[in-house]
Amino acid sequence: MTGETVAFWVVAAALLASSLAVVLTPNLFHAVLYLAAALVATGLVFLLLDAPFLFGVQLLLYAGGVVTIVVFAIMLTERLVGERITQASRHVFNGGVVAAAVFVAVAGFLLQGPATPPRPPLAGDTTVAIGRALVGPFAVTLELLGLLLVAALLGALYLARTEE
Amino acid sequence: MRLLVWLPLLVLALPFTSFLLLAVVAPLRRAGRVAGAVGIAAIAASLGGALLIWNEGFRHTATWAWLPGDGGPMATVGLLVDPLANAMLVLVTLVSFLVQVYSLAYLADEPAPALGRYYTYQSLFAFSMLGLVLSPGFLQMFVFWELVGLCSYLLIGYWYQRPAAARAAVKAFWITKLGDLGFIIGIVMLWAATGTFEFATLFAKAQAHALAIPALGTIMFLIYLGAVGKSAQFPLHVWLPDAMEGPTPVSALIHAATMVTAGVYMVTRAQPLFALVPDVLALIGWVGAFTALLAATMACVENDIKRVLAYSTVSQLGYMMAAAGAGAAEAGFFHLLTHGLFKALLFLGAGAVIHAVGSNDIFRMGGLFRAMPQTGLVFLVGTLALAGVPPLAGFFSKEAVLGGVWAAHMTWPFVMLALTAFLTAFYMFRVVFTAFFGPATAAGHAHEPAWAMRGPLWLLAALTVLLGLRLAAGGGEAHGPAWLAPLSVGLALAGVALAWAMYQRGALDPRRVAAAFPLSVLDALARRRYGLDALYDGLYRGFVLALSRLVGWIDRYLVDGVLNVASAWTLRGGDALRRIQSGVPQDYVFGVAFGVLFLVVWARLWMR
Amino acid sequence: MSLGAYLTLAALVFAIGLFGVLTRRNAVGILLGIELMLNAVNINLVAFARFHGDVAGLVFTLFTIAITVAEVAVGLAIVIVIFRVRRTVDADRLDLLRG
Repeated sequence: MTGETVAFWVVAAALLASSLAVVLTPNLFHAVLYLAAALVATGLVFLLLDAPFLFGVQLLLYAGGVVTIVVFAIMLTERLVGERITQASRHVFNGGVVAAAVFVAVAGFLLQGPATPPRPPLAGDTTVAIGRALVGPFAVTLELLGLLLVAALLGALYLARTEE
Repeated sequence: MRLLVWLPLLVLALPFTSFLLLAVVAPLRRAGRVAGAVGIAAIAASLGGALLIWNEGFRHTATWAWLPGDGGPMATVGLLVDPLANAMLVLVTLVSFLVQVYSLAYLADEPAPALGRYYTYQSLFAFSMLGLVLSPGFLQMFVFWELVGLCSYLLIGYWYQRPAAARAAVKAFWITKLGDLGFIIGIVMLWAATGTFEFATLFAKAQAHALAIPALGTIMFLIYLGAVGKSAQFPLHVWLPDAMEGPTPVSALIHAATMVTAGVYMVTRAQPLFALVPDVLALIGWVGAFTALLAATMACVENDIKRVLAYSTVSQLGYMMAAAGAGAAEAGFFHLLTHGLFKALLFLGAGAVIHAVGSNDIFRMGGLFRAMPQTGLVFLVGTLALAGVPPLAGFFSKEAVLGGVWAAHMTWPFVMLALTAFLTAFYMFRVVFTAFFGPATAAGHAHEPAWAMRGPLWLLAALTVLLGLRLAAGGGEAHGPAWLAPLSVGLALAGVALAWAMYQRGALDPRRVAAAFPLSVLDALARRRYGLDALYDGLYRGFVLALSRLVGWIDRYLVDGVLNVASAWTLRGGDALRRIQSGVPQDYVFGVAFGVLFLVVWARLWMR
Repeated sequence: MSLGAYLTLAALVFAIGLFGVLTRRNAVGILLGIELMLNAVNINLVAFARFHGDVAGLVFTLFTIAITVAEVAVGLAIVIVIFRVRRTVDADRLDLLRG
């Protein structure tokens, strides 16, 4: 058991546990916190896959940004509704069966697929590679993404503004 | 000479340009008389070109690929210019021109938009007829054949507000279509057997005895059916008298001089092919002669001046067909040309009379010669020419036809035609004596028509006389036995004499003559048009209306029923299916998940 | 660890996220499930990128994260509007599309 293997199992266990908590906890606020944990665990998986830059992005944008927005939204709607948001679940059995079936289907492909290649040695700094790719072949995509973010920002503002 | 190559194309294109101009530029069309001027200018230029071509005796064939196919075009379009086409070109453009000029005065009381419409149709007709004449192959001929049929329909129904005119237009269209059906089937069968529509190729094969098709007799008979419809041969002649509901100039142009002769022209054009099938040729001759006689008897009891002329046209078309059937197609074509001149003259004269009197009934006219001597004179010239009195043009062509039929040893058709000659003189002079010389029973407003009408009349009369004199001076080739000329003159004069005795002198009472035994039967039959119209009416009612009712029933109960059941099921099915749409977003996510699962299973089971 | 382990982990997280989407009544809860599913996809992308030595997977992950942020912002804005109008975020009661 190398250090990496141990780290993987620990991170995987944390990720699965917090993910399950997200979908199972009755308290919405708690669910958001578990989501933050799951996102951090995902970031750690990225780190295990030698992508430190993405780990940073994941922490800043996801665990930082998204979770903050969701918390704001929950508090806002809670104030609007005027009662504590607990959330019930519906069709738990059906949903479980379908989700399990999807997992089995995907895992079936994994088992059947060709032998996975061995992990190649790391070729240079991935952060540098990402940077070059972003301003190189993906430059136009990056600009379009910027456009999309602006549009989303304006759209969210428009939707959420109060009628006056 | 290079110019001449393009001249036929120009002759063809001018009326079409005029048609396009009038059809597309609505203000021009609605201007009425201006539209007339456009049409007349175009046809006048065409006439000039046609005369030039005719004068040069120009021969030329130009074809262009039309329907491309493996190993050469399936069909071609083009222009075939030969003496036959040249003569026809001159006739068509000349009569078209004169009729269009004449119409300017005849239809002067029409509202301007209607007059513009009239000239649009006239230009289209001139184009179509010229295209038919210049066709180098059956397919192009058929296309223009249908186009002239369309123009005929449009012009018969020119006064479409009148129910009778609308009905006559439809009747003409349907009955000629009956023949055209045979025509197109024949053409296609001929193409299937030989692989070509072109006359030149077909004639070359016919000459080389390379046309030994077993079904040639059937094919030529079917093609002949087209001519039966178009040239009003028995038993499809019933549409032509009804077509007189159209304006008289239209009758003169389309239903006397040009379109109805298209059948004769086609048979003449395809003579080398018909010559291969003597049985069909004989049939053409017999039917032609029978048509001539039948129509002549009906003309004798008709009181409507235009209908008399219409039956006379049917009768003369029978003459032409009989000549073609006897293998003397040139004689038939010759008769076509002379008949085109003097029948147009007669129709236009009749138009002038109708214009003046305001009625078609010859017994409501009378003494018109005094009121309108010029019209009377030209009408008399036309009548004499039609009756076959020398030295007018009709005499020579009629004699040529009779000679041709006699030479072919078709005795009974010859007898029928001779009898027709006698009847022709009789019924035409019956009209002349009653309308122009009898006691003046007309209201008295009769007056000479405007010069735009008188000019064409005089020109046609002069041409009829001059052509006759020219032929007389040329000695006139002997068409058959020496007794033929005296016989035909004798028959004509006997007819005139009988008409004079009955309608002018009053020596014989027409009613008593008609009541005498053998004639009384004939009289009754002819007055009932031999029951043919009634027969067609009955067939129409029996077949078409019953079929319509059947189709209506099928439509209402079967077609609609299927639709109603299907729509009911659709409604019920939709009602059942809409329960799937719960509106809850997650249920749709379930759908997506099931879709993914289905794809996975499908990929596993069937995509190996 | 092999690529398969990472992919299996991602598939599990995806299935859990799907379960959340299918069963949560609260609209915000559904959004959280969607986040989990997107994360699973990101794990896949990064794992493939690492094991195939292709930087495109990393770049795509970056794009996915950015788009997710936009999606969350707009989605939550919509949820807030729905709150204002219908006074509920219960997905069961948001059934205006019922046939």
